[in-house]
Amino acid sequence: MAEVTSIAGEDGNFEIQIIQKPRYIDMEKCTACGLCAEKCPKKVKDPYNEGIGLRKAAYVKYPQAVPLKYVIDKENCIYFVKGKCRACEKFCPNKAINFLDQPKNLTLKVGSVVLATGSRPYDPSGLEDLYQYRSNPNVLTSLEFERLLSASGPTQGHLKRLSDGKEPKKIAWFQCIGSRDTDHCGNGYCSSVCCMYAIKDAMMAKEHAKGELDCAIFNMDIRTFGKDYEKYYLRARDKAGVRFIKARVHSFDEIAGERDLHIRYADENGQTQEEFFDLVILSVGLQVPESSRDLARKLGVELDGYGFVKTPTFAPIETSRPGVYACGVLQGPKDIPGSVTEASAAACLAGGKLALARNTCTRILDLPEEIDVSSEEPRIGVYVCNCGINIAGVVDVAAAEEFARSLPNVVFARQNLFSCSQDSLDSMKESIREHRLNRIVVAACTPKTHEGMFMDTIQGCGLNKYLLEMANIRNQDSWVHSDNPREATDKARELIRMAVSRAGTLNQLQEKVITVNQRAVVIGGGVAGMNAALGLADQGYEVVLVEKEKQLGGMADRLTFTIEGDDVQAYLKGLVERVTTHPLIQVLTQALVVGFTGFQGNFTTELLVGPGPYQRKINHGVTLIATGASEYQPREYLYGQNEKVMTQVDLARHLKEKGAQDFNQVAMIQCVGSRNEENPNCSRICCQNAIKNALKIKNLNPEAEVFIFYRDIRTYGLLETYYKEAREKGVVFFRFDPERPPQVEQVGEDLVVNFRDPILDRNMQVKVDLLALSAGMVANDTEELASIVKLARTAEGYFMEAHVKLRPVDMATEGIFICGSAHSPKLMNETIAQAQAAASRATTFLSRKELTLSAVTAQVNADLCAACLICVRSCPYGVPKINTDGFSVIDEALCHGCGICAAECPAKAIELNWYEDDQLLCKIDTLLEGAL
Amino acid sequence: MIVADKKPIEEIIDYVKDYQSILVLGCNECVTVCEVGGKKEVGLLASALRMHFLQQGGEVNIGERTLERQCDHEYLEEIRDNIDHYEAVVSIACGVGVQFTAEKYQTKPVYPGVNTLFMGANEARGVWSERCQGCGQCILAISGGICPVSRCAKRILNGPCGGSTAGKCEISKDIPCGWQLIIDRLKALGRMDDYEKINPIKNWSTERAGGPRKVIREDLKL
Repeated sequence: MAEVTSIAGEDGNFEIQIIQKPRYIDMEKCTACGLCAEKCPKKVKDPYNEGIGLRKAAYVKYPQAVPLKYVIDKENCIYFVKGKCRACEKFCPNKAINFLDQPKNLTLKVGSVVLATGSRPYDPSGLEDLYQYRSNPNVLTSLEFERLLSASGPTQGHLKRLSDGKEPKKIAWFQCIGSRDTDHCGNGYCSSVCCMYAIKDAMMAKEHAKGELDCAIFNMDIRTFGKDYEKYYLRARDKAGVRFIKARVHSFDEIAGERDLHIRYADENGQTQEEFFDLVILSVGLQVPESSRDLARKLGVELDGYGFVKTPTFAPIETSRPGVYACGVLQGPKDIPGSVTEASAAACLAGGKLALARNTCTRILDLPEEIDVSSEEPRIGVYVCNCGINIAGVVDVAAAEEFARSLPNVVFARQNLFSCSQDSLDSMKESIREHRLNRIVVAACTPKTHEGMFMDTIQGCGLNKYLLEMANIRNQDSWVHSDNPREATDKARELIRMAVSRAGTLNQLQEKVITVNQRAVVIGGGVAGMNAALGLADQGYEVVLVEKEKQLGGMADRLTFTIEGDDVQAYLKGLVERVTTHPLIQVLTQALVVGFTGFQGNFTTELLVGPGPYQRKINHGVTLIATGASEYQPREYLYGQNEKVMTQVDLARHLKEKGAQDFNQVAMIQCVGSRNEENPNCSRICCQNAIKNALKIKNLNPEAEVFIFYRDIRTYGLLETYYKEAREKGVVFFRFDPERPPQVEQVGEDLVVNFRDPILDRNMQVKVDLLALSAGMVANDTEELASIVKLARTAEGYFMEAHVKLRPVDMATEGIFICGSAHSPKLMNETIAQAQAAASRATTFLSRKELTLSAVTAQVNADLCAACLICVRSCPYGVPKINTDGFSVIDEALCHGCGICAAECPAKAIELNWYEDDQLLCKIDTLLEGAL
Repeated sequence: MIVADKKPIEEIIDYVKDYQSILVLGCNECVTVCEVGGKKEVGLLASALRMHFLQQGGEVNIGERTLERQCDHEYLEEIRDNIDHYEAVVSIACGVGVQFTAEKYQTKPVYPGVNTLFMGANEARGVWSERCQGCGQCILAISGGICPVSRCAKRILNGPCGGSTAGKCEISKDIPCGWQLIIDRLKALGRMDDYEKINPIKNWSTERAGGPRKVIREDLKL
């Protein structure tokens, strides 16, 4: 609810004026119990549910909102509109409502500024005469449809039409609504995400549908260019039967009565086709909202014609104002992994400027010494949370509290209005001390969100944090049994009984503290590796950059210019200069990784360094992988047999060195070595590569004719403008089916391309002076490295990140990070951002002198171990090893505590701390006591 | 390793339905590794039996124990003190373990809880396949390290036969022809000359055909 009004000052020393709008609810007092919303009599269309559901005037945007605090919508509040009501104020148990709340002006002094204001979906109301979005309830935007599919949405995820409640049998998606459209809306760019989300929504719709559901996606090109996205597209098309139709539908008619939609479109042969659909989903694009443009103007940050922040190719996060960084869709259309990556990159650059100030604002928590309770009988304290309507609205909390008091080993039981409020936590501490409690049960909500808070609380009383057990009487009880309070109360009793029984079995566990070696090793000295090294060194950390070749540069060494026209070699020269002269970076060329041991914060890498070669051992705290990718060496289309056939990289060099005067007719074939059986993925960069070279040819020799044979043109994001420019300049594009690719033959001295034009539906032929193959990317050979460092790779040899969307530069092994085309094919600007992101993530380790590891790790009982290898095979992180004595060992510094090995061990030789068999089974035994 | 597979629970229940106390006895060797008779499986089978008897309304005492090996006297001695608490034993070791337990405790009924299959290798988690039939006269030296006795359906010593098609055995398209494997391996070793040699008739008396077998090592006897 805060808005920036101005930014004064300069890089490293900004002063920001902020106005914070009134919330009318005191954040300190609000516990998000929800009573205000329940009692509020005013219902409003819910913008979060895209207006297809209702909310109250006192509301929280959605259940996962951060901070989880309610707000009063002044525009709709009856008291603000009519001067009477104040129901929320009357019912709020914490007196948090404040109708006198006023806007606040804040001034912040900061060193760096990051802009991450995001985007708004395109509003298709302006296309009413074509797509009837406003008038026909069976026409939805993709976001509205997502809410329909969501379990927390207005239909609880049931797929039905809002017009008549009928379950749809046929759904059509229209792609590029508000994207790739300079005619109606002026958005000439591709929004980058709509193809994937349309496919995802079609797949989900099929899952949600009770019977057969026909899903048809009308598109110009399917742009599944992200990592492994093509495989998802193929799955949707070939396994799930989603139809993909190459057509941009101009408009449609509504059938009177049913309000179904009658669609006529021209197929590729020009034949008119007709179909009827129950729903039409408009795949709306991403747009920078006017408010962000205003903000940028206030900040003096330059924007492009579409409102995206202008950033240089080789500094993709930096805006025109030094010290101000931009990330996410504000910088250009992109998906979640791209946005998360850029966010980390922005943190890297912003943090680099602030490195000197690091740890100057740290506050240290003073904890009392831990009390040893191992020899004491359990003295259990039970705190039952009332949580306003959330729990007490269904469960008889007083009865549950009374019941808790009757349980064995329970010496204290109490009800808290809100266990998570500060006063409750304080009084919990008092009662723990007063009654000398040594095991604590909190019967409240989910440990997922609140366990840490209660652990901190008991630690504050000198109790080991693992002496806590929670009973989830909210999410697993009151919320799901709100229609049956009596049985919900019984269930609360049982959940508490089970929790008390487990609490009695809990032991103190000691967390291991390890020191962090504040040095980084970066493997790979290309653009990614060098940027990562600089990112870390600029934060003040020592970096060893390991390159297997004789010089730095990697793949970029072969590149000439970018599609934006930037000189790659000049950039590379400057980059190498900065890296080699940086006092904190040590470059080792001709260096090979031959050994790797250790764990987060304490790795040891063994290297063989040329030209000697001599051996080196480096101790370091983090590892960054930036081993890159190379251009595929084609075996197709006479490559290597006819000198007129070259790859796009060769061609770019040729254009730079020899120009284009010798070309009259040029053909380019896309997807060579990509999107085929051997390499099912899209190589992401080749479409723009072809267009870049085509434009260059047209620029150097306007008379030359260029023909591009493609399957889908994937000029995502702002690259679309170059595709348009190429068409305007007369580059001719022919689509081909993978079943019928162009044929290339040498006839005497001539090179001839035979192909079928799908629009004319005829075989055609062109004689060319040059055939450029858009050869895809192939991950560099890292088989040995992957086995030494024990890292997972995809079938195509790209390293696998910990989580595709949420942890795009982390590897599953803690302390190891990935960037550049070793992760997946990508452009240089994307590579640079990802390298900075990896440096940023690595900094979160290096900035700490010590790491405290969770005590929830697996322990092997060597006497029972049969060395069967099942733990070795089933561990997703490759941690268990069979030692020379013939039993399994699990390094607690590497163990993630997932418990899979403990569950799988056929000899029952492995137990997971805090989740030992007895500690879990006692809950079941307690539950079934008397029942059997 | 000796490979065994689960028996249907109904079959086991049928063996022990009339007893009031039963010991489920596991083994920490082969059957643990092939995930059919280790401590975890003992727990699972015991739980399944308890549930069954509870449903039947009976009160049956089900004990659980896993020995290091059921094919050694010393380990089997470990249950001597409490075996009398049970009317019957379900052993989920291999057939050797079941028999040795039965021999040791003459008056105690011992039932098999698994089906013992073969000596094999663990190709991948959950996949085991036969590699040795214990013929007593190993000929792997002449066949490139691939055994025609266990890998060829006909156990022929000079193959392949006419039933070998595209590398597969005629009994199933999923079973590789053992002799194809031998030829491929000999080729890889550059030893195709050996393939030309005719293998003589094998002495099958060392195999099961010669009756129950025994090894006595005088050098080791105490």
